Amino acid sequence: METTDLNLFVRTSEESILNWDRSKISDALIRETLIDRDTANELSKEVEQQIRKSGIQVITAPLIRELVNARLIEKGLESTRKMHTRLGMPLYDVDSLILHPNKENANVPHGPEATNLTLAEGIKKEYALLSVFSQEVGDAHMNGDIHLHDLGFIDRPYCSGQSLEYIKKFGLDLPHSLSMAKPAKHPEVLLAHLVKFAAALQSHFAGAIGWDAINIFFAPYIEGMSDADVRQLAQMLIFEFSQQAVARGGQAIFTDINIYWEIPKHFVDVPAIGPGGTYTGKTYGEYEKAAQRFAWSLFEVFKEGDGAGRPFFFPKPIVHITEKFFHTDGYMDFLNLICDVAADKGNTYYVFDRGETAKISECCRLSFKLDEQDLLDAKEPWKMRYCALQNVSLNLPRIAYMAKKDDTKLLNLITERFLLTVKAHKEKRAFMEKLLSLGENGPLALLTMNRDGSPYLRFNHASHLVGMVGLNEMIQIHTGEEMHESKKALKFGIRVIAHMNLLTEKIRRQEKMKIVLEQTPAESTSYRFARLDLRYFSPESGRVVKGDIASGEVYYTNSTHLNVKYAMNPIERVTTEGLFHPLIEAGSISHIWLGEAQPSKEAIADFVIKTFKYTTSDQIAFSPEFTTCNKCHRTSRGLADTCSFCGSADVDGITRITGYFTKVSSWNKGKLGELKDRYRNIDYFSTSEKRKVANE
Amino acid sequence: MLCTGCDQFPIKGLIETSFLDWKERLSSVIFLGGCNFRCPFCHNKELVLEHATMEDMPVEYLIATLRKYKNWIDSVVVSGGEPTINMSLFGLIGQLKSEGMHVKLDTNGSNPSILKGLVNDGLIDCVAMDVKGPLDRYSRWCGINVDTRRIRESIEFIMEGAIDYEFRMTVVPFLHQEDDVYEVASFIKDAKKFFIQEFRPDSTLNPAYAKMQPFSSDKMTRIRTNVAEIMTRDEGVCETSMRKYGAVREKTDPVMQGESLIG
Repeated sequence: METTDLNLFVRTSEESILNWDRSKISDALIRETLIDRDTANELSKEVEQQIRKSGIQVITAPLIRELVNARLIEKGLESTRKMHTRLGMPLYDVDSLILHPNKENANVPHGPEATNLTLAEGIKKEYALLSVFSQEVGDAHMNGDIHLHDLGFIDRPYCSGQSLEYIKKFGLDLPHSLSMAKPAKHPEVLLAHLVKFAAALQSHFAGAIGWDAINIFFAPYIEGMSDADVRQLAQMLIFEFSQQAVARGGQAIFTDINIYWEIPKHFVDVPAIGPGGTYTGKTYGEYEKAAQRFAWSLFEVFKEGDGAGRPFFFPKPIVHITEKFFHTDGYMDFLNLICDVAADKGNTYYVFDRGETAKISECCRLSFKLDEQDLLDAKEPWKMRYCALQNVSLNLPRIAYMAKKDDTKLLNLITERFLLTVKAHKEKRAFMEKLLSLGENGPLALLTMNRDGSPYLRFNHASHLVGMVGLNEMIQIHTGEEMHESKKALKFGIRVIAHMNLLTEKIRRQEKMKIVLEQTPAESTSYRFARLDLRYFSPESGRVVKGDIASGEVYYTNSTHLNVKYAMNPIERVTTEGLFHPLIEAGSISHIWLGEAQPSKEAIADFVIKTFKYTTSDQIAFSPEFTTCNKCHRTSRGLADTCSFCGSADVDGITRITGYFTKVSSWNKGKLGELKDRYRNIDYFSTSEKRKVANE
Repeated sequence: MLCTGCDQFPIKGLIETSFLDWKERLSSVIFLGGCNFRCPFCHNKELVLEHATMEDMPVEYLIATLRKYKNWIDSVVVSGGEPTINMSLFGLIGQLKSEGMHVKLDTNGSNPSILKGLVNDGLIDCVAMDVKGPLDRYSRWCGINVDTRRIRESIEFIMEGAIDYEFRMTVVPFLHQEDDVYEVASFIKDAKKFFIQEFRPDSTLNPAYAKMQPFSSDKMTRIRTNVAEIMTRDEGVCETSMRKYGAVREKTDPVMQGESLIG
């Protein structure tokens, strides 16, 4: 048959309509795959015949490709078909994407930018699974044995800790940018550089951008400023970050700011960089007062909230509580202030650095512990740039279903899955290395820029995260008890995490890769795993998943947390959950859900001090709930259906989802199920007027 | 007046960790059964009406629990019911003191002599007294006939300031008029602390109150602001949600005028 016989038009991906040309099929096959020319020709003829028989007049290029793929399957040419795959999305999915909000990540708003992000993520996710990861890893992700986080951001590292010193020293001089700015001379300009750089970084990382010791590094610019000006600067900083919801995908930049009341030991003798990128002749130790003034102002702004009295969602303030904190003048006043913010707005995160520990915290709970080399780098703080390349989580309950109550089998399965995550990390690492090797002409030019003798992204310092979801349910399946129900169950839980911790150490030595455990935030993963296990491990899973199966609001308990529903004394909760924290090097958190109650700031301060002293908890946060009115723009305490000021039903609930505040309407079903379950410590935080007797 | 035996502690409830009952610190709270008042808006009606059928918590259990948390908590709030109707109160607080605890007493002020005894014996470190409303109509607020001279005596004794103290008033729609709050505020205007608490409909002693809508946030804000202006010292008057703006006193408020519906 001749091609000219076919009176057929093809709609191509180049937005034109072409006459039928059979050779395009064989050309594509030869270009994209390893097939031989004869087979390719033969295939194209077969497909042509099939199309001809159908009598169709106009056909799309993607359909032709799929017809070719169908032939490849028939011929058993599986690897050729894979190479010839077309990535894309069904019309129906695109339609619903454009119309309905994305609930996978509550930090993505709904809008054209957000849809672009989701569409792009969809394609990149497929690309990652087909082309970056091996079949074994991809399958394990697809069936829910493990979860590869942020696959849609396959061509970026996961999240990062940054240093303001870099822009103070080198100005804002980004590859391929339209203009170059010299180091800032004024605090407002430094702030502008910071925000722009953060936006640039956001488009190169999947997750959070954390800034170390922000109040200390701003201090040389702040000296001599009036209180009102410092306050103004603090307000600008917080509003700039909280209103940047115009960047990637219409998202706010997920920003953390690390704040110290004292000057940590590793910065005390470091020469301070001031306006114009020059040394001021003083050390940061001498800027303690200025750093404290800025820290104070920042929290005053957090306390006030935004124009409607709501808590700021970003930036997240992380305060380091250290031994030195308690030996620094005015610590109690500052502690009361940040606890007032915690009680009133919930913003404050308390990170506990006991002993000689020093770290940078960011993302939902990720932290980078500083080792000896890092502390040497601290002398030149612009070098302190850290990142995690990827995060992979294990579905722990799944392992328990499969182990059938056999300890050895259980731990062995954990090891197997763990090795699979290591494989996934190696594959991502190789892919990132390829992208970065293209240098300043490649897609990650920003991360390869070299201003201080090494590329911006210090690849050899990059770590790889292994997370866990549903330890509580794993233990429940395996021992018959949840971790809060008996000491035995809790001990087994610790044994599991200790085993994982040991694996990270072994792998680190063997593979020379920084593999570390992290408590996965698992905003949507705990929902996904629960749903998949309901499908594959019924009826057992039905007894174990948390939430409400009838409404589909199901979830597994996050990471190593205890059952969120169980009424537990907060002291017990932070103490018990804190037992896991020393085993999880890259960060953990305990949440204390407050509901509508507003505890006194002094009691919270008391609690924080004692958490530092008497537990091994890494980090805690207190989370209140709010209802904000879209009519009268005021905000009240607690989640309600109507506004307590004007009675309007047009309200949004606001509270912390995993590691940040957001509107409840944007939550996925799993998290909504968890929200209903959360034990809000009413007995512990309400006045006696409001509650009934505890043991009634 | 009700009075239980001296050898027995009617401990009906325990909260190991409270962030609110003693504002300056973490505390444990114990609830003693029985009350001589019948405030219609009371939220602990079981403690008032059914305490006799509720099981006592052994004092040994209480002490063991306090010891378990002694690193964290060194303060106990004794609440009720009305603790001062129990003759065993001295013995109980004595045991708490010998555990090294700071003790705060919640009371309705109906037993000034017991209160004075506790203070003079050094048994309590802080007292929180609920003032139910202006003294001239006290039976209306507390549901029984009460000798208001005792209430007055307690208030005056507390304000002498031998120990740390606070006054509290729960503001209830229909029961209270806005001016009642200001009358109380004027009466104790030299007090160190006066907290206005919001009524929350829940299972109340008088079931009719359970369906009542609490005051709007705006009105509570206004009341707190105005109270703050009446008080000569303004520390801590209205907890943290006080706002300085929009504090115009409205004398003709329809909700306030519907006061005679219940009572």
